[in-house]
Amino acid sequence: MRRKTLLLLSFVAILFVTACSSSSTSNGKGLEELTVWAWDPSFNIKALEMAEEEYKAEHPDFKLNIIENAQDDIIQKLNTTLSSGSTKGLPNIVLIEDYRAKSFLEAYPGSFYELTDKFDTSDFIPYKIAATSIEDKNYAIPFDTGSTGLYVRTDLLEQAGYTVEDLQNIDWNQYIEIGKDVKEATGKKLITNNHNDLGILRIMMQSSGTWYTEEDGVTTNIANNEALKIAFKVYKDLVDEDLMNVHSDWSQQIQALNSGKVASIPIGNWITPSIKAEESQTGDWAVAPIPSLPGMEESVHASNLGGASWYVLNIEGKEEAVDFLTTTFSSNVDFYQELVSEVGAIGTYIPGTEGKAYKAKDDYFGGQAIYEDFTNWSKEIPEVNYGMNTYAIEDIIIVAMQKYLQGGDLDTILETAQEQAEKQIR
Amino acid sequence: METTNINKSVKQRRGKSKFKPKKGLSGWIFILISVILIFLFYFYPMLQALLLSFQSGPGVNLEFAGFENYIRLFSDSTFLTAVFNTFIFFLIQVPLMIVLGLIFSVMLNNKKLKFKGLFRTAIFLPAVTSLVAYSVIFKYLFSNDGIVNMILMNFSIISDPILWLSNPFWAKVLIILAITWRWVGYNMIFYLSALQNVDESIYEAARIDGASAFQQFTKITIPMLKPIILFTSITSTIGTLQLFDEPMNITSGGPGNATLTISQYIYNLSFRYTPDFGYAAAVSFAIVAMIVFFSIIQFKLAGDKK
Repeated sequence: MRRKTLLLLSFVAILFVTACSSSSTSNGKGLEELTVWAWDPSFNIKALEMAEEEYKAEHPDFKLNIIENAQDDIIQKLNTTLSSGSTKGLPNIVLIEDYRAKSFLEAYPGSFYELTDKFDTSDFIPYKIAATSIEDKNYAIPFDTGSTGLYVRTDLLEQAGYTVEDLQNIDWNQYIEIGKDVKEATGKKLITNNHNDLGILRIMMQSSGTWYTEEDGVTTNIANNEALKIAFKVYKDLVDEDLMNVHSDWSQQIQALNSGKVASIPIGNWITPSIKAEESQTGDWAVAPIPSLPGMEESVHASNLGGASWYVLNIEGKEEAVDFLTTTFSSNVDFYQELVSEVGAIGTYIPGTEGKAYKAKDDYFGGQAIYEDFTNWSKEIPEVNYGMNTYAIEDIIIVAMQKYLQGGDLDTILETAQEQAEKQIR
Repeated sequence: METTNINKSVKQRRGKSKFKPKKGLSGWIFILISVILIFLFYFYPMLQALLLSFQSGPGVNLEFAGFENYIRLFSDSTFLTAVFNTFIFFLIQVPLMIVLGLIFSVMLNNKKLKFKGLFRTAIFLPAVTSLVAYSVIFKYLFSNDGIVNMILMNFSIISDPILWLSNPFWAKVLIILAITWRWVGYNMIFYLSALQNVDESIYEAARIDGASAFQQFTKITIPMLKPIILFTSITSTIGTLQLFDEPMNITSGGPGNATLTISQYIYNLSFRYTPDFGYAAAVSFAIVAMIVFFSIIQFKLAGDKK
């Protein structure tokens, strides 16, 4: 009996010892190898692989350990690891969407390595620097631009008697009028959108230099946000005139575009590969500047949707990570030529965007030099402070939009939304 | 579950034969392992979560906030919407599922039924599919130009496609349809196994006394299954209050929070927005409180005196 007891006790003891000892194993990672987390194999991952090749030319021992994850999973993993206080398992470099960047920087102070003076910020398009900095401290090497355009089907426009020329320098109300004609002539709706993802509102707002929050990134700016009000009205008009096809996820959106269900879509330039996937529509597409907000003098024909930047974590290997990023993403002009011609990724590094590859004409878009156009528009994108609560506020705005579409009074709805957002954000 | 059983038997043994350290010791050590593990991985995290729920702030910048998080719950309209939605699901879902499960189990228990195994498998099969996989399939079946809309339109039941995923009302209906499909078979299995233990002679006697099939169902089957019905209604209640996978994958809570559940709101607070783990913990304790509350009510309604 006693022996059995002892046996059991020692078994329990072993369990404990093994449980405790596992924490002391060190990671034997050499500094020649850097780990990166990023999403989208055809875009970001490809860009990383090209950067690795580029860097290897001078550092033959260098190895980049690229870990591909969905963006949602990266956010989740970063949040759990950073909040646990342990640096184990963190990558050296991580790609973070601009809308979310400040949320991470503010929530985990000291976890990200400051990059001020490590690269020349004047080489980058200003709105991108604003999105990746806090109080003049830079935290990221900017990567792609979410410069937006209005992708249109020229063949459908023609049937209604319009050309791309008619889409230059127009506002949303004028575009809705064109949309009515297109629908009458072709039976196709004007755009496709998801009521649960109001990217189109973000495009409209940033085109006039405003956001859900004011310049400080904290003060909620909903009830008195003129641009947001006009954007709400435009959105409702699009729905009421039956010009908006409603999709509920990414694949349905692509399907609506590729199957010719809709005549256009205002969106970030990263949609290009997905649109070009439908070969039968070669030559049928063109990209026009996005319409401005009617009645807003500040509103320009350029805006941004999405886009991400490279962040360095404040752990062992940060210097090497900075060196890798600065020799590729913030100083190599040729690298950006390859990026645009092979991946279609439009950078925000100004010297890089002046190269030859950016002037290339694309037959899919009827010989339009779309990369040059997007780059030119990206320089006009108004700077806004995304703050740290874009998505939290947007979920409130989504509810407000539902109420407005069902016929509520806009001012009261936005005031309620403002109150709610103020309560939620502190 | 197992531990508590062992626990009970040990207590009973000790109660009868007073305290006999030598005999009890090895038993205690057997329990000790699971007790330690349960304390370490259940109660300790629970306690930590409770402490966390009294703090607030973005990410790691947590500050002690007292009951502020709990007070905030009552003025947070997103939370209230989530509670409302969860209740709608709960009120329609749980009775629907239990009634359907009962009906199916009684039908399948029919002695004269052929291919019993086939039907049982067919109805139980949804319960073994992965939550995410079936959610994604439902999403495609019910998409705007999905097969469900196509069938309804071809039969001229509707003239325009129903926007299942973009209309607040239909999105709720869709979630209820999906959960019902997934979980009816699961509950049915419990009833079916309980029915096997009901003595056939009771039904025989009832038939001789002239009881109709419906009377047999209400007067014999249901009372005999009462403990199982209570069990399934409690597990379904807990499951519905913790509902996450289906709304997350089918509608992602939309359109405009119309299908947002409390669990999904916790996820959003921790991972979608700037994380406020303290407030998220407070919301999760709100779920605990609700589950306890409803379980007590169900016990009372079932009239279990024990």
